[in-house]
Amino acid sequence: MSDADDTPRLPDPAEMEITPGRPSFWRNLSPVWLVPVLAVAVSVGIAWRSYAERGTLITIAFENAAGVSAGETEIRYRDVSIGVAESVAFTADLSQVIVSARIDNTAAEALSSEAQFWVVRPQVSAQGISGLNTVLSGVYIEAALNPDAQPDGSRSFVGQDRAPLLMPGRRGTLITLHAPDGNRLTPGAPVLFRGVQVGQIEEPRLLPGAEGVAVDAFIEAPHDQRLSTAARFWDTSGFSVSLNTSGLRLSVGNLASILTGGIAFDSVGTDGEAISRETVFELYSDEDTARAASTSVVAPDRLRIAAEFDGSVQGLTSGAVVRYRGVRVGEVAGIAARQVDMGPAPLVRMQAVLSLDPAAFGLREATTPEQLENYLETLVASGLRARLAAQGVFSTSLVVELVEVENADPDRILHPEDGPSVIPSAPSDLSDLTTSAQGLIRRVTDLPIEQVLDQAVSLMEAAETLLADESTRAAPGAVVALVDDIGALVGSDQMQALPGEVQSTVAEFRAILQDFQQQRAIETLVDTMTSVQTLTANVDAATTEVPALISEIRRVVGRVGDLDAEGLVTAATELMQTTDEFLGLEGTRSLPPALTRALDEVQAALAELRQSGIVEGVNQTLTSARSAADSIATATQDLPALAERLNALVTQAEGLVAAYGARSPVNEEALATLREARDAARAFAQLARTLERSPNSILFGR
Amino acid sequence: MAHARTSQPVLTARAAGLLGCRVCGRANPGDAHHCARCGGALSGPSGLQGVLAWLFAGLVVYIPANTYPMLRTSLLGHTTESTILGGAIDLAHHGSWGVAAIVFVASILIPVAKFAVIGYLALAVHRGWPLQGRTRFHLYEAVEFIGRWSMIDVFVVAILAALVRFNLAASIAPGIAAISFALSVVFTMLAALSFDPRLIWRAADKDTA
Repeated sequence: MSDADDTPRLPDPAEMEITPGRPSFWRNLSPVWLVPVLAVAVSVGIAWRSYAERGTLITIAFENAAGVSAGETEIRYRDVSIGVAESVAFTADLSQVIVSARIDNTAAEALSSEAQFWVVRPQVSAQGISGLNTVLSGVYIEAALNPDAQPDGSRSFVGQDRAPLLMPGRRGTLITLHAPDGNRLTPGAPVLFRGVQVGQIEEPRLLPGAEGVAVDAFIEAPHDQRLSTAARFWDTSGFSVSLNTSGLRLSVGNLASILTGGIAFDSVGTDGEAISRETVFELYSDEDTARAASTSVVAPDRLRIAAEFDGSVQGLTSGAVVRYRGVRVGEVAGIAARQVDMGPAPLVRMQAVLSLDPAAFGLREATTPEQLENYLETLVASGLRARLAAQGVFSTSLVVELVEVENADPDRILHPEDGPSVIPSAPSDLSDLTTSAQGLIRRVTDLPIEQVLDQAVSLMEAAETLLADESTRAAPGAVVALVDDIGALVGSDQMQALPGEVQSTVAEFRAILQDFQQQRAIETLVDTMTSVQTLTANVDAATTEVPALISEIRRVVGRVGDLDAEGLVTAATELMQTTDEFLGLEGTRSLPPALTRALDEVQAALAELRQSGIVEGVNQTLTSARSAADSIATATQDLPALAERLNALVTQAEGLVAAYGARSPVNEEALATLREARDAARAFAQLARTLERSPNSILFGR
Repeated sequence: MAHARTSQPVLTARAAGLLGCRVCGRANPGDAHHCARCGGALSGPSGLQGVLAWLFAGLVVYIPANTYPMLRTSLLGHTTESTILGGAIDLAHHGSWGVAAIVFVASILIPVAKFAVIGYLALAVHRGWPLQGRTRFHLYEAVEFIGRWSMIDVFVVAILAALVRFNLAASIAPGIAAISFALSVVFTMLAALSFDPRLIWRAADKDTA
């Protein structure tokens, strides 16, 4: 386009192309530019807000992050979302899952190291069903923040496996309970005070040394004011039935307690003192025990010390008494095995943890366990040792004794790093006791009971056979008849006259002896005496034959008296055998018939005697015998003198022989003869005396 | 210029110092401010400032439209957020290639093409790049035509958000990106509107001159 075109045309075109001086940039700016400026402002605003509101990055380490997904899993506090998990990753060693999450700045500002995080999953437990909403929405991470805690800028946390029972920031008191086992201690189980739930328990944990379990219980404010040293805790789980003099008693806890277990407490008395965080209570098995206990507080000043034993601790139980000089000073808190030697062949010893009460040692109550341990150190230095002992003679239960062993090797209390101090132990004499008991039992077992029984049975059989024999049965009747006959015979006049006859016989005898004396027929006398002695000896032998059995029995009884079980039994066996043999002998068997026969014969003889008038003859004989006996009596009276004389004679003879100087066989024989004569005289004197005392003994034996 | 229907150049209104009324079409003196016949406001080509401003605003809001989630879908308590491009990729991953293509074309390709075309036209006019005026006009017409269909994404989001409201089971809420995208579409439409096609011809005339 050109303005130089000079075409004569109207109207003239204006100078369109001429623009008067470019106005300033700002003047030329269209107001429409405000729109992009606003758009930029808004975009930047949105971006800034997003950036500012994206929250603070925190990391939570979980053992297991099942269900947690990056960008979706929420972090919630009091069920309000405060953030979202941003990434889920592992630690370098794959030992944990690190969940990185952005949480609201307001929440982040309140974060302290007390904050706890856990993954909420659907859970069905005895307490109910929780986390059901997570079935649809997926898991979320619940946060528990303590509003009271001072924020300390913590950004890394360790996630919990489950919801903490003790939420941070809840007011109350945490106490510790000691129980023998955790069987009925379910985490979350209620703590009841007169039937009202005032708290709950946490997970039981094992105490070091295996002496039971400890469980923390949280008592919510303001109920925790009811806690004092007078409080007694007991297990209410389940129900109990007791039958005693007051009748049948059924106690049932509340339903939740039955399902989940639970503990209850009450104050016994009002003199309890305030408790501290360190106060540990004993958890009793039932209410009665709890109320009867003198104190529920586990003595804080108890000394826990271990004793190690080489051998078996069978019979030693938790709660067994620990004695010192016979006084109970504590109890066994637990028993465990512990490796004490790290050598190639590890040595394992049984370890009993003793809980010792300083007060029981007579030390002041204020004594600390350390002071008691020091005291024990000095005792150990002077020979104090722990030793296993039987609870009683017939008890298999064991107790631990603290005894002072004499001449003990120097020892001291060990202080291992991983457990309680160890008091040296002394070998117990339980093993010997066991051995001897075993020996006793073995010997009892080895006793020939069956043999004895067999013997007894055969004895019984023999006795039965003997008794069943008709002749045996007949014997008593025959004896009675004989006695009757004898009675009749003795009662007869002739027999009554007999003593007189005998006396006269003796007198005659005496006369004879006088004749003898007068005739100085010593040789004859000696012969007579010899025969008399032989007779006497025969009589003696006859009398001693039957009593052999009695002496045997006496011997056996004597051995029985020795209280030797074996000997007793052996002797009894022998006795049985002897008796058995005796009874089994043909002679014994035939004894009753023979006896009966003899008795019959005697009876018959007596009857014959009585009937046939032989008694008269006897009387005559006796009359002569009486005269003889008279002589004998005289002689007997003279006998001592005779013996004296004989003695003198012997002495003289000896002297005579000694005078001869040599002991020739003739002399010896003469001497022996003389001694025999002396003995015979003595025996004859004896016989005479016996006859004087009981004339009929010659008939019936002594 | 290959168009040689007349060898004699025609006197244009602009060359004659006249200004056409865009309402009734009457030619008015160049210095007149109002149409002598209909009284409509007369203005020459306003330049490229408005186009550029709207285009820039559209570009600015197009950034959050793509970076922020378009839809927040809660299905059984499970909430997912998806951006435009992420949604298209997800659809493609699930095998819905057709739908993915539609979403991609409607939400990514066309807006970007619009920015490119408007920007090109503005720059071409401003810098006087050589191109046939008619081709440029076709481009312009295409942009204007397609502009009204660019809201398809926004419509979908609006309909879904209104229909799918089953509380816990399923619910869909628009994200920031939906608003940003809508704004972006509006701004690009305004940019296209504020582009005066007369500038194309003027530039073409200048080329032919």
